[in-house]
Amino acid sequence: MRDIVLQTRQLTKRYKNFTAVEGADMTVYKGDIYGLIGRNGAGKTTMMKLVTGLTEASEGKVTLFGKTGAAAEREKRRIGCLIENPAFFGNMTAYQNLRYYCLLKGITDLGRIDDALELVQLSDARDKKFRKFSLGMKQRLGIAFAVLDDPDIVILDEPINGLDPIGISALRDTFRRLARERGITLIISSHILSELYAVANRFLFIEQGKVLKEVTKQELDLECSRCIVVRTDDTKKTATLLEGIGIKDYKVIDGGELRVYDEGARPEVIARTLVQNDVSLVGLYESGVSLEDYFKQLVGEVSR
Amino acid sequence: MINMSKAELYRIVKSRGFILFWLLSIGTLMISVIYHQTGGISLGAPLDYDESIKMDIRQTAMNFSFYFYLMIPVFTIISGEFGEHTVKNSITSAFSKRGFYVAKFFFTFVYTMLCFLAANYFFYFINKAVNGEEYSSPIGEYSKALFAQVPLFMAVVAAFIFLAFLLRKGAAFNAVTIITPILYTSVLLALYSIESTKKIATKLLNYELSTMIGKLTIDGTDSYKARCYAASAAVIVLSFALGYFSWTKREID
Repeated sequence: MRDIVLQTRQLTKRYKNFTAVEGADMTVYKGDIYGLIGRNGAGKTTMMKLVTGLTEASEGKVTLFGKTGAAAEREKRRIGCLIENPAFFGNMTAYQNLRYYCLLKGITDLGRIDDALELVQLSDARDKKFRKFSLGMKQRLGIAFAVLDDPDIVILDEPINGLDPIGISALRDTFRRLARERGITLIISSHILSELYAVANRFLFIEQGKVLKEVTKQELDLECSRCIVVRTDDTKKTATLLEGIGIKDYKVIDGGELRVYDEGARPEVIARTLVQNDVSLVGLYESGVSLEDYFKQLVGEVSR
Repeated sequence: MINMSKAELYRIVKSRGFILFWLLSIGTLMISVIYHQTGGISLGAPLDYDESIKMDIRQTAMNFSFYFYLMIPVFTIISGEFGEHTVKNSITSAFSKRGFYVAKFFFTFVYTMLCFLAANYFFYFINKAVNGEEYSSPIGEYSKALFAQVPLFMAVVAAFIFLAFLLRKGAAFNAVTIITPILYTSVLLALYSIESTKKIATKLLNYELSTMIGKLTIDGTDSYKARCYAASAAVIVLSFALGYFSWTKREID
């Protein structure tokens, strides 16, 4: 059983005229790279603000390392984050900015500053003033700030915004290194599903402030893979019959549904076999979508 | 609180505001040292004072200039954070929203008052060293005159901090703080010219900031001083409380 490091239950944030997040449930396990996916304005940043304490929830609760309320507030020190655009003092250098936050957080080991800068490949820009940084450098300094005191969870809001393809690739490696070498749990938001897909192992889809789905990468792969969907009244018998015609690569889904991933499988053969063996065939069709189409379908469902 | 003090001191000394404050405050006070003349800004009537009062205390009575100088550290410490949007970094990592306000308020308050005292004592010692006894008072006498103003400046700084948290934008903070004493005097002078409101305007002009600073330093009665101190205490408490509520109720950008 994996440890849950962060959990939200029925988390809601209402402003005067609109609801930014409504009844959001989210579960993040230790070691996850958790992708928060949604369109611009879907509620990703508000979710992150709620979790980090930048804004207070109208309803619902946040459990951090198994603690809630004031105890969870104290656990916030174990979170490093970068919410919205990276913000630092423009007249100070990268090193000076991080030194300021070391002093603020009571970090005495100043060697961590250079470690953090090295991790995000900003060692060369150590003494450059923040106001002279490019957007990509600012993002990277934001990540250095987030990992400065070796947190257990790092929350990054749209960290790839403004980065060029090489920068995005380098950042992906950084995320993997953080998870692998330091055992950090990462929560990353983005509106670009394919980018998150490349690093995350669990996903939460959010639209109009509502959580659409929380899935693992395996489940997402399953949802998106090309397959033949078979709906019958008897999945057990169907499975036996499929194996009888040489189909080994299939999965039984809830609600009388089987998905056949075997590339050689032909729908007409499956249909004939099932009918001949008195299995009531409710539906049979080919499925499989790209990540983007899958996301569009999810969003479309909530829009309707 | 200690961590914030260390961090802010580290940051402040690198800011333009730090240099500007010391250049302005020491620079203008040095003019008095060099020319043996008091100088500064006053929005009230000239003070009546005994010629036996020495130049250093007379200069202290003109400390209204510090109303403008003390905006600088408050602006640097608080408005600077809002301007750069760095507040979220502190709140997501080192402080709760409430803890941030309390730590920031007290640090800014103490730091700004120490700047005020340090600049004045710097003037005192330089004046004494350069101009000797003829232009300088004994330290006890000078301290008594200076500390008579301290509650008033504490109220001013508390109000500045409240405004910085409330307005957030540096330009708005500067506009409101600069215009307020001028507006107060302008309105009262207008009321003074109307016969029916002349009496009340005369009374209220006694509580114009530069007049209060002068009177508290040199010729204020005990009852007048007591009223000024009571008002100062009320402003400090109100500023802290209003700032706290406005800060905790509003979202962080």
